[in-house]
Amino acid sequence: MPRQDGWWETIKYIIVEALKGSRRYYLAAAGLLLLTIYGLYLWIFIQHAPVFLGTDYGGLILTGMNDSVVWGLYISFFVFWVGVAAAGIAFSIAAYVFNHPEFKKIAVLGEVQAISALTIVLMLIVVDLGRPIRALFEMPLLPNLRSMLDWDFIVITTYLLINLVGALVTIHYYRRDKALPKKFLVPFMVIAAPFAIGIHTVTAFISQALTARPIWNSPLLAPRYVATAFAAGPAILLIALYLAERYIEGFSVSIEVYKKTLYLVAGATIVGLYFTLSEAHEIFWYTTEPVKWAQAKELFYGPHLPYLAVLTWLWIGLGVAAVILALIPSTHNSKGAIAFISLLVVVAVIAEKTLTIVIPAYEPSTLGEIRPYHPTPIEYGITLGVHALGLLIYLLLAKPAIKAIMTHYFKPGAHHH
Amino acid sequence: MSVGPRREGSGNGSPKVDESRRNLLKAMAVGAGAAALTSVAAVDKEKFKKALRKVSIEDLLGVPADVEAGSTLEMRAKKKEKELKEWCRKEAEKICQERGDASEDCKLARQKCDLITVKATPAKKGVRYAMALDVNKCIGCRRCVYACVMENNQARNLGIEWIRVLELDRMEFQDLLGSEWYYGNEAPKKENVYVPIACMHCENPPCVMVCPVKATWKEPDGIVVVDYDVCIGCRYCATACPYGARRFNWAKPYVPVQELNPNMHILGNVPRQVHVMEKCTWCIQRTRDGGVPACVEACPVGARVFGDLNDPNSPIRRIAEEYGLFVLKPEAGTKPRFFYFFGPSRTPPREEAKSEGKEVKENA
Ligand code: SF4
Ligand code: SF4
Repeated sequence: MPRQDGWWETIKYIIVEALKGSRRYYLAAAGLLLLTIYGLYLWIFIQHAPVFLGTDYGGLILTGMNDSVVWGLYISFFVFWVGVAAAGIAFSIAAYVFNHPEFKKIAVLGEVQAISALTIVLMLIVVDLGRPIRALFEMPLLPNLRSMLDWDFIVITTYLLINLVGALVTIHYYRRDKALPKKFLVPFMVIAAPFAIGIHTVTAFISQALTARPIWNSPLLAPRYVATAFAAGPAILLIALYLAERYIEGFSVSIEVYKKTLYLVAGATIVGLYFTLSEAHEIFWYTTEPVKWAQAKELFYGPHLPYLAVLTWLWIGLGVAAVILALIPSTHNSKGAIAFISLLVVVAVIAEKTLTIVIPAYEPSTLGEIRPYHPTPIEYGITLGVHALGLLIYLLLAKPAIKAIMTHYFKPGAHHH
Repeated sequence: MSVGPRREGSGNGSPKVDESRRNLLKAMAVGAGAAALTSVAAVDKEKFKKALRKVSIEDLLGVPADVEAGSTLEMRAKKKEKELKEWCRKEAEKICQERGDASEDCKLARQKCDLITVKATPAKKGVRYAMALDVNKCIGCRRCVYACVMENNQARNLGIEWIRVLELDRMEFQDLLGSEWYYGNEAPKKENVYVPIACMHCENPPCVMVCPVKATWKEPDGIVVVDYDVCIGCRYCATACPYGARRFNWAKPYVPVQELNPNMHILGNVPRQVHVMEKCTWCIQRTRDGGVPACVEACPVGARVFGDLNDPNSPIRRIAEEYGLFVLKPEAGTKPRFFYFFGPSRTPPREEAKSEGKEVKENA
């Protein structure tokens, strides 16, 4: 039956499966949709009203940003989600490189996670841009290849495309109970792997070479980005798996997957903490660069921005706690405990990779001004909306993906593990 | 002077253009003058017109770089001029309706609208602008800031000021940490030094490097400009600039039309749109026509010097030779073309002035 096998059928399958579901599923999706619409409303009709509607009121002036602190909450979360996206495909790469069947089974969820994370990433840029429509036309028309922003845009969109292809192909084969062909997998991994590392590296390169912002001038910035990405990304995947097992009947994953992933998460957290230590040493022991020193003080002690210090120490505290818990044998054997440790790591990395990365570079500013940045309600609202959209996409894609996985791996009667 | 053969050339109406254009013009002027003197009645008008060619201001000022008339930029400037005039007239009518046709504001607004010109004057060949500021002279009065706001049609509602004057401790001044921006009216204070900062028009500008859409670039005469019609408002340049020189229009900028400066340059002081970046352009609308920036003109103590680095007779070269030029934050590695220097006559701080010279004057 060629009709049944077609790509078009797969797309239809995804749509149909995404729209089917329990009452709870509908409620969750509707809630997310509402939040998304609310965020969209805030963005179009209030924050960007002068651009879209030509009004006199509104504008980015409604955010907490100003000429001293030009990037804020949006770019902070942008950095975090780039990391989560990067870790998405790394997951499936590991699965195929080590040829582990249980990992293979859930690899497509890594791709779905990357797709939703990248949606958040792109939307956060869009809401932050002063003139997004102009950008749409001019980025391709007038590229400046010396600008890291262009490279970031190129790698992020390419990586998104790669993940879309990956997810589509996987669902295409699994839904018909077929294994993924080697012919596809090998070139796919070879292309995807450098991009996974690439998106986060290039994102770090946006900031790391700017002499104007001493605290970013560290060659450790990109490696630290990648390290904590490999902590938070797989941790989020573990939490998602845990929830999927609870809420989707008949779906189960071996504890081996949890354990092995936890080792990766813990290892990456250790490396991330180690980088923080190394950077702290460079700053607090010997630096003679007064601005870097002043910015580091805001980061670790927060004299003007207490929340920066809270977040920094939260990262260190929760990071250390998670590592210790992960090393205790008794926690290894419970999925619940592993999911809890993962949650700790996610919170820790959010603390490490959002405001604490971006804001200290502007406090004090290049002219020595300290103008404490506090996000305004509109920034929170829009950020929330963007996240709701990402989560909604995750929900809509994970559903058919899991269904396809189950078709291929969970044959009725014969349980897989 | 080799005007002899030229005179013949201008006589028969077909001069051979083999030397530089400037020489030719000079020669023609001299030749025509001589002809007019010797035979006032003999020359008939048509022949005279053939012999003389009209000299445009542009010809006198120098040869345009690579932008000829009819360039895209010029066309855009013309279009913008039309749009601005329309917008201005509408705004003016509003004012006139509100305050009456006879009101000062109404008259002024209408007048401004008629005067609006948007230029696209290109860079002159061989010119490399630079500015210097005498730290010993600056009294922190911020007059340059106000002059700049008015000259460059900066938004009055957003507090955009291209120039920041930092008040720093005279004894401890090492870096800009702890600088005071809002120091009130007591300046100059004895224990402080005042450091005005605006775009440094860096030789190696990071703002240009990072812009994802090439909305900002360095012109051949050294002025770093922003194209307000291209900027996408990503603010990466503001993050990259080590001198905090870039200003963003965080909301819709507002400039009352009766306060508009109608002498505009498309890459300079044309009224901006919401969510685009702007910064000092060394008053491109003035300097490319041979003037000096508004801040130089406004400074009451003459602390600012502007000129062409390539011209050995320019004031900036004299300063360089006599006092030496210093740059702020050399470690940023951007090679600023805005310099500081330490001039000779120190303006005495207020208190000393009172105890010394001023009393004498008051008694006299
Ligand atoms: S001072 Fe800043 S805005 Fe001006 S040229 Fe240098 S980097 Fe660019
Ligand atoms: S804000 Fe405008 S000028 Fe600055 S980097 Fe972005 S697009 Fe370029």
